[in-house]
Amino acid sequence: MTASSLVEPPTVADDLAPALESARGERWRPLLGTIVAVAVALALGAGLLLISGADPVSSYAALLDGAVGSRRAIELLLVQSVPLLIMGLGLCAAYRARVWNIGTEGQFQVGALGAGAFLLLTPLGSSPIAIPAAMLVGAAAGGILAWSIGALRARWEINEVVTSLLSNYVVLFGVAYVVRKPLRDQTSGASLQSERIPDVAALPTLPGSRVHIGLVLALVLVPLLLWALTRTPFGMRVRMVGMNADAAEAAGVATRSVIARTMLISGLLAGLAGAIQVMGVELRLTTSMSTGIGFTAIVVALLGRLHPLGVVFSALLIAGLSVGGNVMQLRVGVPNAVVLVIEALIVLFVVLANRRGLLAGGSR
Amino acid sequence: MSWSDVIGADALIPLLVATLRLAIPTMLAAVGECFCERSGVLNLGLEGMMLTGALAAFVGGHHTGSAAVGAVSGTLAGGLLAVVLGCFVVRGKVDQVVAGIAVVLLAQGVTALAYLRLFSSATTPPSVDGSPPIAIPLLEEIPVLGPVLFRQTALVYASMAMVAVLAWALFRTRFGLSLRAAGESPAAADAAGIRVERVRWIALTVSGAMAGLGGAVLIDQLELFRENVTAGRGWVAIAIVILVRWNPVGAILGALLFGFTDALQFRIQSAAGGVETAVPFELFQALPYLVTLLVVVASALHFKTRAQPRALGVPYDR
Repeated sequence: MTASSLVEPPTVADDLAPALESARGERWRPLLGTIVAVAVALALGAGLLLISGADPVSSYAALLDGAVGSRRAIELLLVQSVPLLIMGLGLCAAYRARVWNIGTEGQFQVGALGAGAFLLLTPLGSSPIAIPAAMLVGAAAGGILAWSIGALRARWEINEVVTSLLSNYVVLFGVAYVVRKPLRDQTSGASLQSERIPDVAALPTLPGSRVHIGLVLALVLVPLLLWALTRTPFGMRVRMVGMNADAAEAAGVATRSVIARTMLISGLLAGLAGAIQVMGVELRLTTSMSTGIGFTAIVVALLGRLHPLGVVFSALLIAGLSVGGNVMQLRVGVPNAVVLVIEALIVLFVVLANRRGLLAGGSR
Repeated sequence: MSWSDVIGADALIPLLVATLRLAIPTMLAAVGECFCERSGVLNLGLEGMMLTGALAAFVGGHHTGSAAVGAVSGTLAGGLLAVVLGCFVVRGKVDQVVAGIAVVLLAQGVTALAYLRLFSSATTPPSVDGSPPIAIPLLEEIPVLGPVLFRQTALVYASMAMVAVLAWALFRTRFGLSLRAAGESPAAADAAGIRVERVRWIALTVSGAMAGLGGAVLIDQLELFRENVTAGRGWVAIAIVILVRWNPVGAILGALLFGFTDALQFRIQSAAGGVETAVPFELFQALPYLVTLLVVVASALHFKTRAQPRALGVPYDR
């Protein structure tokens, strides 16, 4: 808060000017800052490995090999990146408006639950019907949940960080119940899981690989979101609300509507990601479907600096860390938790490097 | 199962005792967070600080056999993590929401890593001995409140004292006034000679230390550690602060509400004796979070005026 801001309220022009300037000339500095931040985080991670008695060099070598060292590894990486990319895109929309949706974990699970339950309970004969239908159901489930949270914020200013977080826990227990009782696979013995979804609903893979077509869908969403967030009046309004909600309101923007809609978008995409995960990877409902992927998506969105193209890269990077981390754990014995630490450090240093603004382009 | 088993005359006192016991960790975190947010700093890393405190307390208690050592370790660990967050949000002026969440992820990763590395060679699951309840003579004879308030462990007594001190300090001391000024109008506070950044550093560190102590108390009660042992209590504490409108006394009551639903759900599950009830047990597990959520919404709908400190979440640049 500078002295001048005490004297008169900031106008919309004051807030937009730096964004417009830096979009032209300064695009490389924020990118450099992000790269340095990732490097620092990896270095600190290496230090942590040393302290915990592991050899950083062989650990990171195993990590790298596990991520991209073989065709199978790359396929796994791509499959893992799909939900991260989809959720990350949705969070771009919300976070650009500074609507802090921390509930993607719950929205993902409820989308998976919705799609899975739909497929198990509704007899649908053919793939071209079952797959899109289930995706719609999953997306809708996530969307409704997120929209409710957004409406509470928009209408009554109820803090969405808190409501979205608490809703994660409620959904978690809801899914646990459904898997344990109504949709339980009775033949599976001790493990808690539902029956397998009908084969017509399993996502086909890309010819010649084991990567499912969810990847194609995710990639299609990238230019769509890019266009929506940077080339439409809606995208402009989102950005204005994110920079200064009061100024935006004064300038005539329907901030409440923007808040609710961005939450809806992030929820729809999180639910869709859940549905795709069930149909492409898990093929049944379990209690271990998400394992924190909703929180990882937050890292992906922030690392990608809320830009759809940035999110493509960060989703691949984070997916690589994830997949590589599993191999590292198996081969070198270093717990997977190190990857979580590195991700958290990446976020901290990226926001530190970009503290003049979270958005790609340097605006606050 | 009959309801008299749960809240009948005989069951009520143990239920209330359990309520206070279960409420303490969240209460410590919530009152600490009130303190912090009143100075204008949003500490979203609370869950992480509680978790770190829990691990430190577990390690300390496991190696020395002393719950007091555990409590001190937990408090220090929580405070230390708060200092880390402070480097980013008070000094670095980084977005407090993002940094707070990152700190929680960091704590989850570090504690999981540390626990696995330190206890991987254990053949049986490691545990600590919980401290025994200490009854205060005379006071414990007071009907109803006596057993509830005065037959608790030393840690609980210490926690209740800490909470009272903090609540008093916020409203009855010069420092508390400076703190609240920093949260409402940092520029005016600065002009009046208050060192805003220093006040915020102190407030943030105190909230981390309180959360860490809360984690230690949790470990003392559970007598074990596991990944994410805090199970969202830190987040519930943040919700409580919002719903009681940043009032530390309200935060005490809010935490008691959470403790009550927690105690109730345990009671119901054990009274049902493992028999399949009509209502699934997952609903009871979700109950504390659901109730907190509903009360947050109800509170926002009920109160029309804004009680949020005006400078909350906004970094102060001199």
